Amino acid sequence: MSPRMPTPTEMGSVTEKTLRITWSDGHLSQYSWHALRVSCPCAACKGEWTTRRHLDPASIPTQIRAMRIERVGAYALRPIWSDGHSTGIYPFNYLRHDLCECDECTARRASAAP
Amino acid sequence: MNSQLPLGREQVLEALRDVQDPELHKSIVELDMVRDIQIQDGTVKVEALLTIGACPLRETIITSIEERVRQLPGVRSVQVSLGVMTQDQRQALIGKLRGGEASPIRRSSFLTADSPTRVIVVASGKGGVGKSTVTVNLAVAMRQAGRRVGIMDADVYGFSIPRMLGVSGQPTIIDQMIIPLEKDGIRVMSIGFLLPSEGEAVVWRGPMLHKTLTTFIGEVHWGDDLDYLLIDLPPGTGDVSITLAQTLPQSHMVIVTTPQVAAVNVAQRAAKMAEKVNMEVIGIIENMTGYQPSPDVPPVYIFGRGGGLRLAEMLGVPVLGEIPLDPAIREGSDVGIPVVTSHPESPAGRAFREAAQRLCERVPVLVG
Repeated sequence: MSPRMPTPTEMGSVTEKTLRITWSDGHLSQYSWHALRVSCPCAACKGEWTTRRHLDPASIPTQIRAMRIERVGAYALRPIWSDGHSTGIYPFNYLRHDLCECDECTARRASAAP
Repeated sequence: MNSQLPLGREQVLEALRDVQDPELHKSIVELDMVRDIQIQDGTVKVEALLTIGACPLRETIITSIEERVRQLPGVRSVQVSLGVMTQDQRQALIGKLRGGEASPIRRSSFLTADSPTRVIVVASGKGGVGKSTVTVNLAVAMRQAGRRVGIMDADVYGFSIPRMLGVSGQPTIIDQMIIPLEKDGIRVMSIGFLLPSEGEAVVWRGPMLHKTLTTFIGEVHWGDDLDYLLIDLPPGTGDVSITLAQTLPQSHMVIVTTPQVAAVNVAQRAAKMAEKVNMEVIGIIENMTGYQPSPDVPPVYIFGRGGGLRLAEMLGVPVLGEIPLDPAIREGSDVGIPVVTSHPESPAGRAFREAAQRLCERVPVLVG
């Protein structure tokens, strides 16, 4: 069995400037609301079949933020955004490994990129 | 007068605390179902309120009230009259049963991450491997071992739990709250109970499945005292599986497979789904392992050998049981008497009991 995915042990409030998540593996992640919204993995934002389509970041208000964040089962978070969007389900793995904006994770992703 | 022992309302009320509503499994006093108590010359009159007028178990309630009160000293006769709750009283009762939570999706106790109920999802990659048979026999074996068990039949199109467990009828519905049916102490909910007949087909698209499942989870009164809730999934990784994965904050998966290599590869997909939604696979049950017509001839491995073990090794989880082919299993499923009840000492009966025991060891309930 592959190791269980990291889960949030502590989450910051949606009223803060950035989203903070402390993970079960001890890592502390930070996310800017705008980047998180642009990375929405739902079919409407990302396309149903490929990852080619990208949401135009300019189409998202710079001041966007989540009104609240719901847990989905045991594996994901669903933000309800101030622009009314709410269909994006962000799996913990995606948040922890692909979206975390801390220096360490940003550097790791940059070196892994082709 | 002639009554030597002063018999008070408090004493009667205290005695009634032991009387449970047979469907809601809670004290009728706690549920505010006792409306009035009158005592005169050793005659006790109790007026109780039923949740709905057509309560199928009204006689049971009357008898248990009479039995309790008659045991009190100084009681010469007991008269029980039953009324029916008003809409407001029912709503208050439902509120109480749901732990006072107003939010509709927090109704079931196992919808919280720290629920004492262990939710076990019985899955397979493809159909026809015997998921429902395994679910029913595991549940009965767990019940026989003293656990409080529920079965949710999530196989909406291919529901078969009602027949296999020999339970039919319509659930009592108190406003929007559905009381599961009960068989030998196992609480059961299936779409089969809501259809006019067993032959009726469910021809629905995804959104209706989602609605049914969320109703089964959120609006069925499973009770807050269940040790295990077994969920019989439909085959594969479709709508129902996704809804459950997105709704249950904690659940474990048991994968059922046949020994065939082809089945194993498909079963692996169920495990893949579990990984994606962070559900822990706790073990494999291999069904239809081999057929041994009598103890003095070697078993015949009709579907090949070793599939369960191979899958278990691939996933790094244990094989919880290998269930031999046995006509008694099929017969039991058809007449509604699971093989662990009808042939407890048969190889299949023993295999199911051992599997249930290993399962309980893998996912222990909190002792408290």
